[in-house]
Amino acid sequence: MNASPIIRTRSVAKTYLIGNVRVGALEDVSLSVDEGRFVAVTGASGSGKSTLLNLLGGLDTPSAGTIEVAGALVSAMDRDALARYRRLGAGMIFQSFNLVASRTALENVELPLIFSDVDKKERRRRAAELLARVGLAHRAGHRPPELSGGEQQRVAVARALVNDPRLLLADEPTGNLDSQTSREIVGLLAELNRSQRLTVVMVSHEESLVREYAQEVVRLRDGRVVGTESWA
Amino acid sequence: MKFSDAVEFSLASLRKRRLRTLLTVSGVMIGIGALVSMISFGKGMQKNVTEAFKASDLFTTLMVMPGGPDVPLRDPDRPGRTASSGGRRDAVLDDAAVAEIARIPGVRLAYPDVNFPAMVSLGEKEEFRLVQVVPAAIAASGALKLGWGKPYASDDEEGVVVSQSLLRRLGTDEPAAAVGKTLRITSVSIDLGKLASLDLSALFSGKGLPVAREAYDFPIVGVTEITAFGGGPSPVQNEILIPPGPARRIKRLPMTSIWDLFRMRDGRLGYSAVSVKLGSLRDLERVKSRVGDMGYTTFALADQFEQVTKGFYFMDMVLAAVGMIAIIVAALGIVNTMVMSILERFREIGIMKAVGAGDGDIKRIFFFESGAIGLLGGAAGCVLGLAVSLVINRVVNFYMARQGMPRIEYFAFPAWIFFGALGFSLLVSLVSGIYPARRAARVDPVVALRHD
Repeated sequence: MNASPIIRTRSVAKTYLIGNVRVGALEDVSLSVDEGRFVAVTGASGSGKSTLLNLLGGLDTPSAGTIEVAGALVSAMDRDALARYRRLGAGMIFQSFNLVASRTALENVELPLIFSDVDKKERRRRAAELLARVGLAHRAGHRPPELSGGEQQRVAVARALVNDPRLLLADEPTGNLDSQTSREIVGLLAELNRSQRLTVVMVSHEESLVREYAQEVVRLRDGRVVGTESWA
Repeated sequence: MKFSDAVEFSLASLRKRRLRTLLTVSGVMIGIGALVSMISFGKGMQKNVTEAFKASDLFTTLMVMPGGPDVPLRDPDRPGRTASSGGRRDAVLDDAAVAEIARIPGVRLAYPDVNFPAMVSLGEKEEFRLVQVVPAAIAASGALKLGWGKPYASDDEEGVVVSQSLLRRLGTDEPAAAVGKTLRITSVSIDLGKLASLDLSALFSGKGLPVAREAYDFPIVGVTEITAFGGGPSPVQNEILIPPGPARRIKRLPMTSIWDLFRMRDGRLGYSAVSVKLGSLRDLERVKSRVGDMGYTTFALADQFEQVTKGFYFMDMVLAAVGMIAIIVAALGIVNTMVMSILERFREIGIMKAVGAGDGDIKRIFFFESGAIGLLGGAAGCVLGLAVSLVINRVVNFYMARQGMPRIEYFAFPAWIFFGALGFSLLVSLVSGIYPARRAARVDPVVALRHD
């Protein structure tokens, strides 16, 4: 497979100020991810996996270094540009699903489209289409508390993809799921990766899932990349 | 984010926290309600007074009084006027002066202000009143608004005009039937025959004043309609009017008699005041300066009306200030509710940001939410203010009616009060929403998503 990198980070560092103490979460992270790959990021808790993903997703900004996604310099974006990037450039899913409890599955999937000023009718159509793709057409009118964990994560996947981003970022998507459901969700991500050439970056510490579905892995320890491995 | 979506988001959020929304909206409602009733009360009073002024020809009335301390020095060459060389001597309002004033171009009528105290009765009940002596020309001039009967035609006619409210006090609810009935006026005077044997010690203890009561009967020829704000120096000031002819033969206390009633000033007698009716407001300044030249003090209500208007402006400000206190409390309530709302929806804000909501979108959602509180509270406040005003008006009028007082609309509701209140409420709520909206927009999505 010969593709250009969709993600390129150079010497990315992230430090937090806790009180007066500077705490490093990431240090000198330089990565390159080719378009259409399924990359896993692993590491012990506190190794900086989620911080890296938040930086890639434009939820946070690095303290040093540059992040480039699909040719755009995410690390240099202002607040508005970052919001736009989160809306259109990269979809994200989380361990705790992060659905709005008071809105139905369909309305949750619609959410990014609302902030993209899409018409209500078109919104409904696209959200329903995405829900169908993740196999939840029959649960469209249910609210998150009425859905199982696996179903909620599927809704989150549909929501992440409704604006057709080229990049999907998954932060421990199976952390709250049983092993059977975990396989289904990661299987869904792998299927989307294959069928739509969607680039997936998934933080996970479940080695077996990573081995089975991902194509390469980036290992982090104490905020540094300690190894990369590619097997497909 | 589209406008309609932002509205939907805001309303959904308000619906979700019904009780709190209701309480916050109630706060705004009470504030706006208070403001609406306060301002409509101010406007009502202003309207009543302005209309009464206009209705009773007060604008074209000029009061003339004997020279006072602020009278400019007079021309010593003028015939009939006292010279003012050295020490001041004031001009006297006698019959000649009244006649001279009446001859000034633009003056329609000039007549002395004379009244005397008396007991009046119609059958059983007796009331104490000031009886005002008014020439027939005034009674017929339109300054009197007669509801029933007609004014007396000449100064010597035996007849009186009374007010509807006096009749009510005397136990007659049907003014039409009262026309033609006989009103008894009982005057009080000093009994000169007994004066010689007056026991001074008894007099000082409040007893033994040699008063003589004398009763006079007059037919009622006309009844004036009740006017709410009939006060002021006008013919309708008193509730019983009598022409000068018959008044002359009524024995009264010398301090308040009619044509004999003169005030002692510099050894000369004069009236205490003369009412001058002008043909039009345009003549006011000219007549005023002519009368001033004659050495008298003038007082025109038209001049005072500007002061009255300023007074009402001030009253409006005070009333509005009271209403503003309620509004400020309501605004703090909105801020409090919105800040609480941010804390409760911290995670939801994080989610919205994570899926691509910009700062502006979040701001708009919260801004609209507080705006909706303002609009709802403003609309409810208009209804509340109107309702409270109508109830107060009703209750007060109910008690006033039992006192024989005329009905007054204490509140006025020009449309601008409601539009203004609604707009003001919206404005206050939006201003209250600025800080919470900014704060919501500043929420860090990473922190918010970690938040449980």
